[in-house]
Amino acid sequence: MGMAVAAPDLEPVPPFSPSRRYRAWLRGNILPYALISPSVLVIAGILAFPLGMLVWLSLQHYGLRELIHHAGDWVGLDNYRAILVDPLFHQVIVRSLLFTFACVALTVVLSTLIALLLLRVRSAVRVLVMSSLVFVWATPVIVSVDIWQWMFDYEFGVINYLLTQLHLGNFIHHNWFDNPVQGLGVLVVVVVWGAIPFVTITVFAGLLQVPNDVMDAAKVDGASAWRTFWFVTAPLLKPIFLIVTCLSTIWDFGVFNQIYVMLNQRPSSDYFTIAIYSYRESFGVTQYGLGAAIAVLMVLVLVFVTFFYVRETVKVAEIA
Amino acid sequence: MIAPGTAQGIRSGRARGATEVNLRVNVRQHVTQALYDIIGVAVAVVMLFPIYWMVATAFKPGRDILTLVPKWFPAPFTLQNFQDAIARPFFLDDVKNSLIVVGVMLVLALAISFLAAVATARFGFKGRTAFLVMIIGVQMVPLNALIIPLYLMLDSVGQTDALPGVIAVYLAVVLPFMVWTLRGFVANIPAELEESAMIDGCTRVGAFFRITFPLVGPGLVATAIFGFIQAWNEYIVAYVLLSSPDNQTLTVWLASFTTNHGPEWGPLMAAATLTGLPVVAFFLILQRYLAGGLTAGAVKG
Amino acid sequence: MKFTRTWLSVVTVAVAVIATACGGSTGTTTNPADQTGTLTVWLMNGSAPQSVIDSVNADFNAKYPKVTVKIEIQQWGDIGTKLDTAFGGSNPPDVIELGNTLVAKYAAADALENISGKKSSFDNSNTWLQSLTDSCTVNSKLYCVPYYAGSRAIIYRKDFFTAANVQVPTSMDDLLTVGQKLMTAHSSDPNFSALYFPGKYWYAALPFVWDFGGNIATQSGDKWQGSLNADSSQQGLVKLQNLVNALSRADKTGDEAKQDAAFAQGHIAMIIANGWEVGVITDPKAGNPALKDKLGAFPIPSHNSGQTAPVFLGGSDLAVAARSKHTDLANAWVGMLTGQKHMSDMATVGGVIPNTTSLLGLGTGLNQVFFGAAKNSRFVPNSKNWASVENANVLPDMLVKIFTKQQTIPDATGSASSRITSLLNGGG
Repeated sequence: MGMAVAAPDLEPVPPFSPSRRYRAWLRGNILPYALISPSVLVIAGILAFPLGMLVWLSLQHYGLRELIHHAGDWVGLDNYRAILVDPLFHQVIVRSLLFTFACVALTVVLSTLIALLLLRVRSAVRVLVMSSLVFVWATPVIVSVDIWQWMFDYEFGVINYLLTQLHLGNFIHHNWFDNPVQGLGVLVVVVVWGAIPFVTITVFAGLLQVPNDVMDAAKVDGASAWRTFWFVTAPLLKPIFLIVTCLSTIWDFGVFNQIYVMLNQRPSSDYFTIAIYSYRESFGVTQYGLGAAIAVLMVLVLVFVTFFYVRETVKVAEIA
Repeated sequence: MIAPGTAQGIRSGRARGATEVNLRVNVRQHVTQALYDIIGVAVAVVMLFPIYWMVATAFKPGRDILTLVPKWFPAPFTLQNFQDAIARPFFLDDVKNSLIVVGVMLVLALAISFLAAVATARFGFKGRTAFLVMIIGVQMVPLNALIIPLYLMLDSVGQTDALPGVIAVYLAVVLPFMVWTLRGFVANIPAELEESAMIDGCTRVGAFFRITFPLVGPGLVATAIFGFIQAWNEYIVAYVLLSSPDNQTLTVWLASFTTNHGPEWGPLMAAATLTGLPVVAFFLILQRYLAGGLTAGAVKG
Repeated sequence: MKFTRTWLSVVTVAVAVIATACGGSTGTTTNPADQTGTLTVWLMNGSAPQSVIDSVNADFNAKYPKVTVKIEIQQWGDIGTKLDTAFGGSNPPDVIELGNTLVAKYAAADALENISGKKSSFDNSNTWLQSLTDSCTVNSKLYCVPYYAGSRAIIYRKDFFTAANVQVPTSMDDLLTVGQKLMTAHSSDPNFSALYFPGKYWYAALPFVWDFGGNIATQSGDKWQGSLNADSSQQGLVKLQNLVNALSRADKTGDEAKQDAAFAQGHIAMIIANGWEVGVITDPKAGNPALKDKLGAFPIPSHNSGQTAPVFLGGSDLAVAARSKHTDLANAWVGMLTGQKHMSDMATVGGVIPNTTSLLGLGTGLNQVFFGAAKNSRFVPNSKNWASVENANVLPDMLVKIFTKQQTIPDATGSASSRITSLLNGGG
């Protein structure tokens, strides 16, 4: 082939630099609109009404009776006022943010390490690890949390038994959820365990897309494994990292099932994260208006927290 | 010791040095490889332990399940729990429903999201940023908060207790994620490749399908698996929307193993194992495309 | 001629009008054999044996051959959410089985049909179990029909009692003494509990509160006042705390979900349990069938010697949706399931406590004790906001604080009572 590819170096490769003609062709086209129209139709068609109704609900006093009669009481921003002055809400937000941070950090770091490991192990081990990740991923959350709950059970739990047998202390009849900090720690383990498969597989897929000659060039230049990763691989994977971190943040902030099932569907207020708080206000005390307001606030907080990532993602995704 | 500096001395010195280095490198390579392999196996064991516990329990007779001293291996071994699980009413109906819902949703979702991913990864157009922001923003809304609005909306078109309603909801929920992730994978592949193919005589579309599409393979696989799992394991929306037992999905069927007397552990673990099998099968079929990216990653100038 | 034709057309129209008026959708004057439609019935998983349901449907279809009955079994998990959406939609099920603590919430929201006028049409309505009837009554109106109940008593190991040379206790103090003797007899077993009582087991704690005359809350007019901090309530809790401290090694912060599995392991002498838990303990697949002949039961003794403490009556009721399009058919179906014939089957085949005192004699074996305990039973405050109290975990949390000694009984009951007062009166 006569095509000259830019000589690979240690600087991050710019994401996009097509020739003028191709670029012109790409830009002056109705093709992109046609391509995104099915997505827009589906998402708007199915979610526009529910999202609108969610905001509308948040501005009403809407309990079970209102639901049955399909008529609420307009209260404007009263629901928001009531929630924002509630000290419980502040506790819940702080707890949710800390919990999310712990989960996301652990997930991304551990997953990247495992993905890098997958590049280096022999293929039999690689298939073993990937299969185990998929088994974990394939198990429904409600079932896997049942298992974790059982493993951490006060009386019949394997963890208490193992820790005692390994002489790491006396864990017989130890209740892990007595102390909310310990209990939330257990929940972080459960959430991270469930989150690792997706992030690992995604990062691994991204690693596979890194061209071999870029990696080889780095080796020829004498870079160590760590430097190769930090200065060559990671920048190439920046879009992937941005995506998984942002997604993990969104998902972990909205964690519901793990906490709900682990605590037998009746978590005490010390374990409330924002998603649980919203559900409880909606269906626990049947105040759908309040529940909706909390959900709206949750989205706003999430927008604020992920603003940086979203901006970066959209920036990186800019077409030159 | 041959005097260093003489040409002959340098060559033979180098040769001897090279052999020693080779040996050392070989042994070190083997040890490093073995170390990585051991760590890999350890990772698999730790991640798999709860799953092992679930599957082992599925094969244990009831009285060996909740014991003060854990029984590590299912001995005596029994298939009773699986028989119990399969004998539950509507098992086959629910399997069929889950397959239909997830199958239809996945095909639609992959097609639609791929188109949008290509659009946003390759084209600059007005409204592109707005579209991306909408895609990301929609994912921030917790699904639980939308249960009542979704139900009322589907109720008004008579789609409660009907599979199409569930498919529509799952599609709308999974699509944003798929678009966003696939966009990343497509964007990661430089457009120069299509360009070089075009210079070699391909049409634009041909370049796209022949060059970029195979390279996005691993990304498509990861996204497809994710979509499959999200839909396969979803509970609350399926539970709220579907009431007739012959319309329900497997996750609702799973919930039937927990009565107000508590969960029936043996049959529940067996049922959960059965529910997980199609996902694993789906992955095993697709996993070679994931690994195939290894060779696809090689770009020669 | 013109006159005859006009007269004929008037007559035709009149006949048509009368015919339509009489043939209305509720079919009050239509022959049951001609009524058509689909009746949707929601029953909870595990409530009625399939044979009973089949039998009810057979009888129903014999009377209404053209009506299709669709039975849909619902799961307990998140049932509240499912019911909320179903009632909020345009097509709720016609007949719904509701846990007795859920009825008030839906009745007050106008989701259920007011059947006060039809009460006498149901079998045994004069002898319905009082607590179940109470659960169906909101603002003096009847919104559902009692279906079945479950009550608690103490299940015990007869062999342990014989070995320790003790008899069935007849008072709470006696219970403590018996328990202490059992603890001594098994002092070498670090896992042994004479009375296994998990901390959050509020259903089992209530008998102690009620026995001394206390209550969860009292109602005056339409205002509720939490009363767990009343002296009488506290007395009961003190008694319970003494028992738990001396006799139980169960998790003070756990609930009763796995107590049957624990009992089957063989290190427990007594548990406070429902009648159906006997079956779970001796289940050949999941329990220990060897315990079958070693189990006995006795009612929770009162602090007054020779009497029994009031127990919480759990159970379900059957309601008809207010928006149902077949209210007559629905009530007819409910009438059959709760009627003399099938209710007897529920007791004998299903092993659950029937809805009427007239059939309590049908209990066999150990069930006799549980059926008998139902005669002295009580219910939780029948407020539409009771579900909020349960969802906020007020009672379990209070008990945990008491048993783990984080708070004294006066403090714990004080804060629980004010929380209950606020929640029951519609606050948060």
